[in-house]
Amino acid sequence: MSLTYDELRETMELTLWAAQLLAQSGAEASVVERVVHRLGTGMGGDWLDVFLSPNAVTISISSGNEFRTRTRRIVAAPVNLTTLAEIAALSRRTKRLRLSREEIRAELQRVSAQAPVYNRWVIVGAIGLACGAFSQLFGGDGAALLIAWIAASGAMLMRQQLTRMYFNPILVTIVTAFVAGSIASVLALSGITATSRAALASSVLLLVPGVALINGAEDLIKGYVVTGLARAVQGGLISLAIAIGLLTAITVFGGQGL
Amino acid sequence: MMSGSLLGALLLDLLWSAVAAVGFAMLFNVPRRWLAYCALMGAFGHGTRWLLMQGGTSIEIGTLLGALVVGFLGYGSGRRLRVPTAIFHIPGIIPLVPGRVAYEAMIGLLQVTTATSLTAQQTLLADFSVNVIRVGIMVAAIAIGIAIPRLLFDREPPVV
Repeated sequence: MSLTYDELRETMELTLWAAQLLAQSGAEASVVERVVHRLGTGMGGDWLDVFLSPNAVTISISSGNEFRTRTRRIVAAPVNLTTLAEIAALSRRTKRLRLSREEIRAELQRVSAQAPVYNRWVIVGAIGLACGAFSQLFGGDGAALLIAWIAASGAMLMRQQLTRMYFNPILVTIVTAFVAGSIASVLALSGITATSRAALASSVLLLVPGVALINGAEDLIKGYVVTGLARAVQGGLISLAIAIGLLTAITVFGGQGL
Repeated sequence: MMSGSLLGALLLDLLWSAVAAVGFAMLFNVPRRWLAYCALMGAFGHGTRWLLMQGGTSIEIGTLLGALVVGFLGYGSGRRLRVPTAIFHIPGIIPLVPGRVAYEAMIGLLQVTTATSLTAQQTLLADFSVNVIRVGIMVAAIAIGIAIPRLLFDREPPVV
């Protein structure tokens, strides 16, 4: 049974919503396409064309003799792999159990309103420890672990605070890298570590644009050149911003001994 | 047979890689039940590179093979558990990120601007270029390593 024009409107709205959530939470283009296609055909559409561009997603959906097309804006948001997993699971359930549009709407509502899994203080401690772990992988001593942990945790607090105040992400990155570099430089100059380079290098790694660079490369490999280039450029800019913030901190506080 | 100190160093490497992977998994809001998988991906990927480098392999080839380990493990787990592979791939490759080399490149650039002799500038610029190239190769190696399983197994005819 094909969908009526009005039913297509609601299907359109729900698939666009899912596509927007996926794209904002850090899914690569091929995943957005595949999951949204599965969701839309699971809701009774015959076919969907999903076109992801860096700042928007456009979907055309057809059923029987009717079709609809609409675009929705995508804004920058923090990477959220829980959202990604839950929407992928929703698309599978829709296909298998023929969920109703009301059930799908309720689930999308729940996913988009859900609080982060980890409390912000837990993240501050964990990401600090992760940067400390990096100092060990880079051959640092025990003091380097401690310096990186403190510097990265402090920087993460700063990043959370600035992001909450809606500062531009590039600016947030520069300032955060500066804070991490300053704390690490001051501590390293006190002479407690013999491996100050390992401490400094690891203290800014919380900012590494891993998702942008990895998804960018994946998009490029799979033929999604526009989104791939956009992500690669974004990753490059963030890396540059880290360098600016860190080098400023080293120049101000440390000198070239670091 | 592995000597005791080498085994100890390997275990430490696995431990710290796992800690790094889990920290970033939490930053990326990975559900609690998958954190242990992320720890294993991070440890096995970086552990592979560490072992290869002990045997004299270059860091670039080590990174590619480490990323391949993460790629296949993540792909297999994702398939089996019906979860998007990104949940395992993204935290899993984190320990392979060339942070140290990127840092050396940055410091090199800073030193170029303050070096006084031409020879010193040339040496520093050459070092800088080499480090930038290495970072580029390692990032590409990571991306290719985790893309390969899907390119091998998820082949479909193009649809229009």
